[in-house]
Amino acid sequence: MEKIHTTCVYCGCGCGLFLHVEGDRVVGASPSPGHPLSRGRLCIKGWLAGEFVGHPDRLRYPLIKRGDRRVRATWDEALSLVRDRFLKVKEAYGPDAIAVLTSAKGTNEENFMLMKLARAVLKTNNVDHVARLCHAPTVAGLSYAIGSGAMTNPIESLLESEAIMVVGSNTTEQHPMVAATILEAQSRGAELLVFDPRRTQIAAQADIHLTPAPGTDVAWINGLLNVIIEEELIDEVFIRGRTQGFELVKEAASCYTPEVVESITGIPPHLLRAAALSYGAAEAASIVYAMGITQHTAGTDNVQALANLALATGNLGREGTGIYPLRGHQNVQGACDMGALPDLLPGYQKVSDPRKIETFEEAWSVDLPRAPGLTAVEILEAAEEGSIKAIYISGENPLMSYPDRDSVYKALKALDLLVVADIFPTETTRLAHVVLPVASFAEKDGTFTSTERRIQLISKAVSPPGEALSELDVIFDLMKRLGAPYRSLSPAEVMEEIASLNPHYGGIRYRRLGIDGLQWPCPDEDHPGTGILHREAFPIGRARFRPVFQKELHESPDEDYPFLLITGRTLYHFHSGSMTRRTSLLDREVPGPVVDVNPDDAGRLRIRSRQRVVIESRRGRLEVEARIDPGLMPGILYLPFHFSEAPANALTARALDPASRIPAFKISAVSMRRA
Amino acid sequence: MSEYIPMQAEIEDIDRVTSDTYLISLHILEGKGLSYRPGQFIMVSVFGLGECPISIASSPTRDTLQICIRRAGRITSGIMDSRIGDVLGVRGPCGNGFPLERMGRDILIAGGGSGFATLRSLVNYIVDRRRSFGDVTVIYGARTSQDLYFMQEYKGWQMAGLSVGITVDVGDDSWTGNVGMVTSLLDRLEVSVGSAAICGPPVMINSVANTLLTMGFSNSDIYISLERHMKCGLGKCGHCNIGPHHVCQDGPVFSYDRVRSLLESL
Amino acid sequence: MMIAFLSNNEMVPLIEALAKRLEVIAPVLSGGQPVFATWNGQELALDAENPLSSPLEFLLPSREALFRYVQLSGRYTFEEPSLPARLILGIRPCDLFAVEVLDRIMTEEPCDQAYLGRRRSTVLVALNCTRPGSECTCAQMGSGPGCVAGYDLALTPLGDGYLVESGSPAGVLILREHPQFFREASNEEIARKEALLAASREQMIMVRPDLSLQSMQEAISAADWERLGDLCLRCGGCSFICPTCHCFNVLDLGVPDGERIRCADSCILSGFSRMTSGANPRATQGERLANWYRDKFVYMPEKIGLPGCVGCGRCHRVCLARFDRRKLEALP
Repeated sequence: MEKIHTTCVYCGCGCGLFLHVEGDRVVGASPSPGHPLSRGRLCIKGWLAGEFVGHPDRLRYPLIKRGDRRVRATWDEALSLVRDRFLKVKEAYGPDAIAVLTSAKGTNEENFMLMKLARAVLKTNNVDHVARLCHAPTVAGLSYAIGSGAMTNPIESLLESEAIMVVGSNTTEQHPMVAATILEAQSRGAELLVFDPRRTQIAAQADIHLTPAPGTDVAWINGLLNVIIEEELIDEVFIRGRTQGFELVKEAASCYTPEVVESITGIPPHLLRAAALSYGAAEAASIVYAMGITQHTAGTDNVQALANLALATGNLGREGTGIYPLRGHQNVQGACDMGALPDLLPGYQKVSDPRKIETFEEAWSVDLPRAPGLTAVEILEAAEEGSIKAIYISGENPLMSYPDRDSVYKALKALDLLVVADIFPTETTRLAHVVLPVASFAEKDGTFTSTERRIQLISKAVSPPGEALSELDVIFDLMKRLGAPYRSLSPAEVMEEIASLNPHYGGIRYRRLGIDGLQWPCPDEDHPGTGILHREAFPIGRARFRPVFQKELHESPDEDYPFLLITGRTLYHFHSGSMTRRTSLLDREVPGPVVDVNPDDAGRLRIRSRQRVVIESRRGRLEVEARIDPGLMPGILYLPFHFSEAPANALTARALDPASRIPAFKISAVSMRRA
Repeated sequence: MSEYIPMQAEIEDIDRVTSDTYLISLHILEGKGLSYRPGQFIMVSVFGLGECPISIASSPTRDTLQICIRRAGRITSGIMDSRIGDVLGVRGPCGNGFPLERMGRDILIAGGGSGFATLRSLVNYIVDRRRSFGDVTVIYGARTSQDLYFMQEYKGWQMAGLSVGITVDVGDDSWTGNVGMVTSLLDRLEVSVGSAAICGPPVMINSVANTLLTMGFSNSDIYISLERHMKCGLGKCGHCNIGPHHVCQDGPVFSYDRVRSLLESL
Repeated sequence: MMIAFLSNNEMVPLIEALAKRLEVIAPVLSGGQPVFATWNGQELALDAENPLSSPLEFLLPSREALFRYVQLSGRYTFEEPSLPARLILGIRPCDLFAVEVLDRIMTEEPCDQAYLGRRRSTVLVALNCTRPGSECTCAQMGSGPGCVAGYDLALTPLGDGYLVESGSPAGVLILREHPQFFREASNEEIARKEALLAASREQMIMVRPDLSLQSMQEAISAADWERLGDLCLRCGGCSFICPTCHCFNVLDLGVPDGERIRCADSCILSGFSRMTSGANPRATQGERLANWYRDKFVYMPEKIGLPGCVGCGRCHRVCLARFDRRKLEALP
């Protein structure tokens, strides 16, 4: 038996673990006591992270669509077909009829090379990934406000906080290691403030739990700032020395008195005040947030509102302060860092900046497209309309994870070429013209970048099943077939190329990573990496305040659709479930979809626990079992999106945040009745 | 050879019991069949889906091994979707069964819902060994008349001299019998105080047992058959523990005084 | 019993000799940390703290195939996996005690042959603990720091080498077959062993003088289990890491041919006891936690005469939640 040290494949925490390997099979996983964050602990998904690797359902050889079936093919047949169709589409419709969706589950090296495939070989900036559906507003909002969309401090820095504000994050279930750190900070004396319409486990532990009505975040965040200004708890030195634009924000916040906030959000004024005093008076306070903030049509405004709050109180650039956007995939941070974004090159360098793009043109000896490409949801819209004809999807399952499933289906069906590289058959591979079987995290080398900017190694523990290959090798093969002059590189060599083009990663070399990894920015080989960002200055010089105002929701409950549906995840499953539903204990724990219903609503509609109900929105309907949850506000339903038996995204809308193009997964008006 | 390797059993016959319950007759392909007692169970597997505990519904006095399957989870659905001639895996028998040697001649048998399957084994055993027993009463309740198991057998039991009472929770036009709790039957039938065997949902078990206590039954003469999640049937996998006991080895039949002393059992 | 002395520089040659006919499992470094793995000439980590993942996984793996089923015209044949002959070097007294616990549970009738098969083909070379870890309480739980039974050979580090004691015919055989690596132990060395272990014991008791099987039983009766259940982050770590935890799940993978797998399960999970009907005899997290503790400290002593806790401290090291697992109280 061997024990291979690697990095967990689930959420963005980036915990260290050992895979136990016996005869080329993963037979277990255990925590890594020496890991800087997880320190010998794991959540339930981490403990079981090795199980899906050897599942018999794994894709073992390439598949090509013949009629309505997908039949076994050789790699040569599959990749030749991909090449031919790509070239045909490019010739007939131009390069921008092609799009590449990279994967937040892939390595940095794979994301980088897929991005390069799109830009340098296929010649399109239509490259994006699942970050569009989770933290696009963070990248947009925080980049504007403080010059970087990344988590400002290491997770451990929370231990130095006097007050921790957790907003729209079911932390104990979605980022257990962050939750453990927050709760440890609380037992050391930090005050814990939780803002969530659901009484989650962390909400139940909070010193103050506030339950704003969904979609009213700008109002109560401004309300907090208003109280803080009134109570003279702002940090004037910080505002004067390091920011700009406070006056307008102050004016905007003054509209949001506790009474006004109550009328919009339902938060009682005394609780709002208590929370404001706690955050405002703390010597060091931090803000932790997740999808409850971003997945709204006002996602970018929500992020800016939080940034305004942190800037006004000087809670940035020091131990115990900071803004912590929690990334939901183990490498969604890395995929963004690698420039798998339609408007940004690696290191968040703008495609529209001629000097930046020229650097890349020189490095790759090609001309690159200069107009920003389409975002993920727009790519599917364009496919439905017919202007996108070919999509390469790496390890994503849009049919489950994108909003408005019906439209996604139509979009994917309309394509001339859909290539999906994945480890398991999914709802999306069932529509593909070509399915490419690739290695899982246990079957390749590479790096993931965790939510705290920690670049960490993953190590090959076992061989991929059947004929499956590391996706990096597949990309190089495809590049060659498409006539690109790039030779195959090892993951470590790809990192050297990344380091040469992404200044934040300038000093990253495999030999330096060990089990601690390195936190970017790490500009050169002697640099020890950076824990806390913005200590002295912001990358944009002065941080930018921007006034934000509560906006109307794209859709509110009404007579026909009287409930507000929130979608999300559960502790025991991950995303579209292709890994966790093949992990026996996880699947047993939550064997199927369940919608949470407030007891009063349930009583009124005579819905009992475990009863089947029909949920319907303007987009679609589904049938699901109900569970009575006293921790949920009346009028609100909660449905996880992991389950193809009741795909929550049949109900959600494509309403997008104008600034970041994220869909509003957290808000759908629905009706409910007994099945 | 590992006790985890099952015997193979061919499905000989499939009878519909209710709309979602089948009685499946099995023929063990190797060895000389299964030697068991009423109240025991077997681990049944569908290869590829897994294995689960199923109580034996037939009496060892008869040739055919029968199990009663209700569509509940993946494995039971897999069994029900099998056809005559298909092969299932069988391990066992597991558990203790009813302690007939201690139960005396006068026996009350009380079943609720699908819990009646294991009691059928006992009833038919008594019918076949009628002279070893005295006053025997069978009471059984299900949700509706469509949910009643083994309806065509009641008459035979009565002809063998057993007193049989049947009731449903919810009556309908086709049902002319009793409506109400199983315990309501106890008032209407002459029941000799002796020992009792009960299987059904926890609420029903408690209410029958409590009524029996008021009728003069002794705690230690009332036997309950318990249901638990099980994986091995060997007392190793841990799923079925009640305190220090494993239902698969120390049970599934427990005397009521023992059950009550065990934490969290009902 | 045979007693001998193995000097430090004879350790590797001895293992090389043993590895010729057995798979030697030993603490080695991976990612800079000690783990039990197959020894292939790596540097040994016998001085490091006891690896977090216990060597019990080589007797009851967290995942193993019970058998393979192969279908041919509607009938099945079954193939059992072959088991490797192994020697575990450096198993600590706490883990050795856990082996005794598992032996009693798994080989009690009806005997678990899958376990017994591995157990019989495994030689145990124990390593007594002269330097307890910060979470170690084997002295209080009665499992260490020196092992008294259950080993084939027991090593005690004396600085320049190891005192080696045989505890079984298999252990004697190793000493007899490899005389070139051993010399006779002196009385001073035997006395030194006793002194080192006594000091080690004292050190542990000094850190936690009030801890005992009884104090744990009292804490279990007094605990507010629902409150602890609210704090539990449901990682299952305590049950996955505990060397005496042996609960497992069984599942089939593959149609028409495939494997019946058993893998580690956790009574901390609600699905562990939930029945198909949805009813759950242990419905709350508090009840499940209570069951885990009672099983270790109440049920196991009653059933097999040994506590289910060996004092290895691993459940403390992996716990994500915020309660004191020895006092069973919430932290402030």
